[in-house]
Amino acid sequence: MSNAVHISPKGSHIMRIWVIAAHTFTQLVRMKVFYFLAVFAVIAIASNFFDLPQHEGPEAVGANVLRSIKSWSLGAMTLFSVVLSVVATALLLPKDAEDRTLYTILAKPVPRFDYLAGKLLGVLLLVFVSLALMDGLMTAVLHVRTNMVVAQQVEMATAMGWPADAVASLRAETLASGPNASLQGAVFAVFLRASIMASLALLISTFSSSTLFTTIVSFLIYFIGHFQADARNIYLQAGEAGEGLFARIASLVLSMVMPDFQLFNVIDAVIEGQALPMLSLAKLTLVGMYYAVFFTFASWFIFADKEF
Amino acid sequence: MAESIAAVEIRNLVKEFKTSFRRKPLRAVDDVSIRIMPGEVYGLIGPNGSGKSTTMKALLGLVAPSAGQCSIFGRDSMKVDSRDEVGFLPENPYFYKHLSGAETLRFYGKLCGLGGRELERRVSELLALVDLEGARDRRLGGYSKGMLQRIGLAQALVQEPRLVILDEPTAGVDPLGSRQIRDLILKLRDQGITVFLCSHLLEQVQEVCDRVGIIFRGKMVREGKLEDLIAIEDQSEIVLQDASPELLNQIRALVESTPGASVVRTGKPRTTLERLFLREISEDEP
Repeated sequence: MSNAVHISPKGSHIMRIWVIAAHTFTQLVRMKVFYFLAVFAVIAIASNFFDLPQHEGPEAVGANVLRSIKSWSLGAMTLFSVVLSVVATALLLPKDAEDRTLYTILAKPVPRFDYLAGKLLGVLLLVFVSLALMDGLMTAVLHVRTNMVVAQQVEMATAMGWPADAVASLRAETLASGPNASLQGAVFAVFLRASIMASLALLISTFSSSTLFTTIVSFLIYFIGHFQADARNIYLQAGEAGEGLFARIASLVLSMVMPDFQLFNVIDAVIEGQALPMLSLAKLTLVGMYYAVFFTFASWFIFADKEF
Repeated sequence: MAESIAAVEIRNLVKEFKTSFRRKPLRAVDDVSIRIMPGEVYGLIGPNGSGKSTTMKALLGLVAPSAGQCSIFGRDSMKVDSRDEVGFLPENPYFYKHLSGAETLRFYGKLCGLGGRELERRVSELLALVDLEGARDRRLGGYSKGMLQRIGLAQALVQEPRLVILDEPTAGVDPLGSRQIRDLILKLRDQGITVFLCSHLLEQVQEVCDRVGIIFRGKMVREGKLEDLIAIEDQSEIVLQDASPELLNQIRALVESTPGASVVRTGKPRTTLERLFLREISEDEP
């Protein structure tokens, strides 16, 4: 061979994770997953037409359509991001093992944690870019429609002889229902929920033998996560059960390993026009990071001893 | 080679797999020991399911030994740094179909800490080595089986490892592709790279290996230098060019007049079907 190749000492973990993440992102992009953006565009545009006729006054004109755009768009974002997170993560690991590409990667000086973290990061990168693109489209549609609604309301209010300060107040109120920081916070919350689901699917795929099993179990946990907090509260408040130490410990352990997706109901509040306080978003970020890190390390714990 | 540390050291390796239906675990590798010195080409041969691939996987840390130890250049196989100087080509690899040949090598190179111009130089060098320069930017989904094996060999060599492990490197490849891979293995040997290969294609192993181990039902049944293993000690062979029938008769008479010696067989040496095939298709080439 020619000149000796310089190998940076053990490479760096971050570098290797990034190489695997970038590759996973490319792999998913080349699987044409971005085609769903066309479906999202149709949803975002179609949601413009869900304007129920209301004639109580200028303040009601167009309010429904703005809510409809946010509701349909955030709903579609949730659906796409969760499905993408679960299916992509569930697919990648078994595929690598089946095609034996995993052997060639692990036969290089690549720690198993780097491989797992890279795969997860690649999926999250794809989800992030997808959400950013969908967010851009939603914001653009909402911006245009909000301006149209404001113009309509102002025209109607002026015609009805509203005082200038009332018109200004109505205008400000309607603009607050348009694209704002809370809406961006809600999109970030959608991303956090997808991150939890991706890391959960990663954990399941480390011991599952099929993509189908991983997908089904992940979605099952997703649905359980939406009512586990209620179930826990009912259990703890149900007389003696709630007073026992065992019950409290069991409840705590359940909360630590099973994500409570009711925390993400703040997204629905944003759709209804409420503000998303920075503190709530920070709390949600911490919760999301906790579960993502917890599931990733649990995946590593299993994957580190896995034989191929 | 002045190095005294073995490139591969497998000591009393035992690997058992738990089975769902049988209480007794399946012993895939049973007390196997192999020592390969730097620069050697070692062939592990045996029928399918004899434990060849499991031995290689244990050496690469892909499975954990039930007992015994494996090390590469003195480093424990279960540790990641033991893979710094190893290249591995698994049996029937598929690689990522969405990547081109050059992208595949770049990906594996980056995993090994290579980058920039140095990586680009290495990618071009390897594509030339495995004769895939023409398919550099073609996606692997369109590669033939032989091309996939060659790109697989190239990825194994990306960080210039001192040890290359090849699991059935010519499985499913046509004779021409098989010959190309064998030529590459011989090139590696000339460059002083240690090669550990396993195969059940005995002729291929015979052509390239210095030492051979025969594994059967998980146990090493024979091991040693190739010439020692295949030589028939009490027989000698003379191959003559343009010998007349008279000369052959004289030789036969001389041997028969010597006490204790006898002619076992005379005749014309035969080429192999593979050599004939390769010669014929190379003559037909424009």
